[in-house]
Amino acid sequence: MQFGATTALSEVSIAFEPGEVHVLAGANGAGKSTLIKILSGAYPSYRGEIRVAGRPRRLSSPAVARALGIATIHQELSLVPSLSIAENMQLSLTGSALGLRSRARERAFAARVLSLVGLALDPDTRVERLSLGERQLLEIARALAQDANVLILDEPSSALSEPERLRLFSEVERAVQRGAAVLYISHRMEEIYRLGQRISVLCDGALVLTRLASELDRAELLRAMLGSARPELGAARPLSRSAGEKAVLEVRGLCAGQAARVEGVSFTLGAGEVLGLAGLDGSGPSVLLRALVGEAKLTAGEISVLGQRYLPTGPGRALGRGVAFLPADRKASIFEELSVVKNASLSALGRFTRRGFVDRARELRAVSELSARVRLKAPSLTSSARALSGGNQQKLALARCLLAGPSVLALEDPTRGVDAASKLDVYAAMADALRAGLGILLYSSELEELMALCDRVLVFFEGRVVSLLTKPEIGRERLLAAMMGAP
Amino acid sequence: MTKHEGDAAEGARFGDALRAPARLLTRSSTARALLPLALVLLLGCVFSGQGAFFEWQTHRALLREISVHGILACGMTVVIVTSGIDLSVGSVLALSAVVFALLTLHRGWSAPVAILWVLASGTLAGVASGLLVAWARVQAFIVTLAMMVFARGLAKQLSGGQKVSHYFAGADGQFVSVPEPLFFGMLDRKVLGGNVSVVTLVFLGCALLTWVVLERQRLGRYLFAVGGNFEAARLSGVPVAGTLVFAYALSGFFAAVAGICQAVQETQGDPETGLGYELDAIAMVVLGGTSLSGGRGGVGLTLIGALTLGYLQKVLSLNAYSTELRLMLTGAILVAAVLFQRRLVASSDSG
Ligand SMILES: Nc1ncnc2c1ncn2[C@@H]1O[C@H](COP(=O)(O)OP(=O)(O)OP(=O)(O)O)[C@@H](O)[C@H]1O
Ligand SMILES: [Mg+2]
Repeated sequence: MQFGATTALSEVSIAFEPGEVHVLAGANGAGKSTLIKILSGAYPSYRGEIRVAGRPRRLSSPAVARALGIATIHQELSLVPSLSIAENMQLSLTGSALGLRSRARERAFAARVLSLVGLALDPDTRVERLSLGERQLLEIARALAQDANVLILDEPSSALSEPERLRLFSEVERAVQRGAAVLYISHRMEEIYRLGQRISVLCDGALVLTRLASELDRAELLRAMLGSARPELGAARPLSRSAGEKAVLEVRGLCAGQAARVEGVSFTLGAGEVLGLAGLDGSGPSVLLRALVGEAKLTAGEISVLGQRYLPTGPGRALGRGVAFLPADRKASIFEELSVVKNASLSALGRFTRRGFVDRARELRAVSELSARVRLKAPSLTSSARALSGGNQQKLALARCLLAGPSVLALEDPTRGVDAASKLDVYAAMADALRAGLGILLYSSELEELMALCDRVLVFFEGRVVSLLTKPEIGRERLLAAMMGAP
Repeated sequence: MTKHEGDAAEGARFGDALRAPARLLTRSSTARALLPLALVLLLGCVFSGQGAFFEWQTHRALLREISVHGILACGMTVVIVTSGIDLSVGSVLALSAVVFALLTLHRGWSAPVAILWVLASGTLAGVASGLLVAWARVQAFIVTLAMMVFARGLAKQLSGGQKVSHYFAGADGQFVSVPEPLFFGMLDRKVLGGNVSVVTLVFLGCALLTWVVLERQRLGRYLFAVGGNFEAARLSGVPVAGTLVFAYALSGFFAAVAGICQAVQETQGDPETGLGYELDAIAMVVLGGTSLSGGRGGVGLTLIGALTLGYLQKVLSLNAYSTELRLMLTGAILVAAVLFQRRLVASSDSG
């Protein structure tokens, strides 16, 4: 598979057996999603042969793939935001002969599908009102409902919190028992070994190995993925130094949000500190982060930044006061049409502008420095962001926040889909910013990340902070229990 | 399920040999925009209207004819980059022409003062549209459609439905005729050895200004960001409302510039002028390859698009096609050109 001068995938031969979970691993930009898109009919101009159930087939469109029993969840979600849940469900099914729709049947079907993944939502809710995690679950449910022979999941768990992930695992296992072949992409080690019976590794578009999971240990897997042995996430040191004397952000009795809300949140974020936020989807962290930049309605409470009262009124003003926000959804952070440079510098243009003109040389220098630091893999810095793999787009979005040089960074799952080695590079870049006196509020759906990076973690349950864990207590079990509401 | 990549068939290899140079040609958007222009020029060479196509005078006239539309297209490019549309430019042009003629011919104002007033009023019309789009979040199509009707009405109101010329009824009811102000002659002159009209230079100046804003200024980055992904632009701290207002204001400003040029060329302010010009401007932008969905394109492309549309109409008129036929052919060729470009984009993105 070629993209202009880039060869994304070459000479890959691979077989997926029924009743087996086949995990596809590899660094960001290795070609995993490209392979998935070919198998789902999204890239019809591939070369080579694909056999489904022994018969050679040409996967010339998504409809063809679906008709052959291949159900796919892409890395970037493909729901229509302005339609309801029920209507979105219907899109992936073949309609009745006359193209007539029965609303009652649609709703009943949607309700059944939602219950598959344990989502308690009204099928008439419009998708744009759902959180990223809910959308991901919805997409998973939609694929499961097709009872496909081949189920392909491209980083399906990246926005899910721990309990939701367990639910996904059991559904995947059910599909396998039914005899489906499952192709599963993930960057998370526990997930790879928990689910995978067979593991294949891609590196720079080539298939490096295919092995039974039981015959491949972690060190070897990492070596195959990265071309060299690099430490795992656990080796990352906490970024926080002893919480700085100077507070960059103080929040007192904050209440915010409408449907999803937080109540009575108070904390202090020191300069050079990473304060972790944990909680189930919809329990509060994302409302809190949004409230800080004026994206969620503030109903009570006081905020001060660098010791000065601050009333958030919108992301633009917030940036002016030194508060930058990174949403988890890449659809809300990446400009696909714009070049890598223009994506990265957008929030920091003030620094590169003199009398309205952009100093492009300085801009390019700053961007190329940072993108080298986080190991951004792109055809070139002037190619459009569309050409980047999912993990690299995520690094790009984070690079924009870091370049903006704020005093407070509000990050919602900033390393979603970033591979294990790149994460360390990203953390190093974050550490640089911390040394310069920045404070980071970090929500992560990955408990390992919180455990590795934070000295203190605020745990949310149903809109309230139920506990503040400090370093020695931050462990998997403690976190999970607190997230489920245990005091 | 098995899958082999790179197991290339002979036929595919043969196709590759042809595809490489084709891809080079289609990679850059400029090359994609130039292809239709080249095609139209080729048509002109073949059907040259008894050699008229090879006369310099034909091309000079063409440049002059596309200038007023081209000025509108510059503003339209900026608005379309933000994924909006400005249907009001034709009417704002007429309004500006009427006001300019009224001020200079009837009131006897000096040209520079009149120009300032007209430019300010055109910009104001743009700001009004922009505010409705940015703050009231009404769709650009509706807002500018309303502005189109409103400005046309205002132009008719101010002119009393009559063409505003140098021969008119004075305060005492007596018809008077005033001499044409010097400025009219100046703007309609030809310079550079009588080869380029001043109006064309104004057009090129507008294009240059647009280019600087879009490609060199921070504002340009914001315009592309807003058009490419509004939500992401907002969340990254881009002043989205101000950016949108600027886009429509600039479009209104250029419409006023075009209105002054139009008044000078016609030596009158005609409230019926500029009818349908917005569509020509949109056609120029789209022919250049700027996408209506926003976030990409540029004024250089619009320049090429303006030439393509201008030459297309020139070739058709040189060959003495009737107006009716010309319109139908223009429509058909427009669609063909856009479809063609889209194919090129698709083939350069993958495969
Ligand atoms: N539309 C495109 N145009 C040009 N290059 C592309 C395009 N899509 C992908 N690529 C390139 O192909 C390579 C493989 O991308 P792919 O999306 O398959 O990676 P991936 O393994 O899924 O990575 P990630 O873990 O980050 O999702 C990357 O180097 C990417 O830059
Ligand atoms: Mg991917």
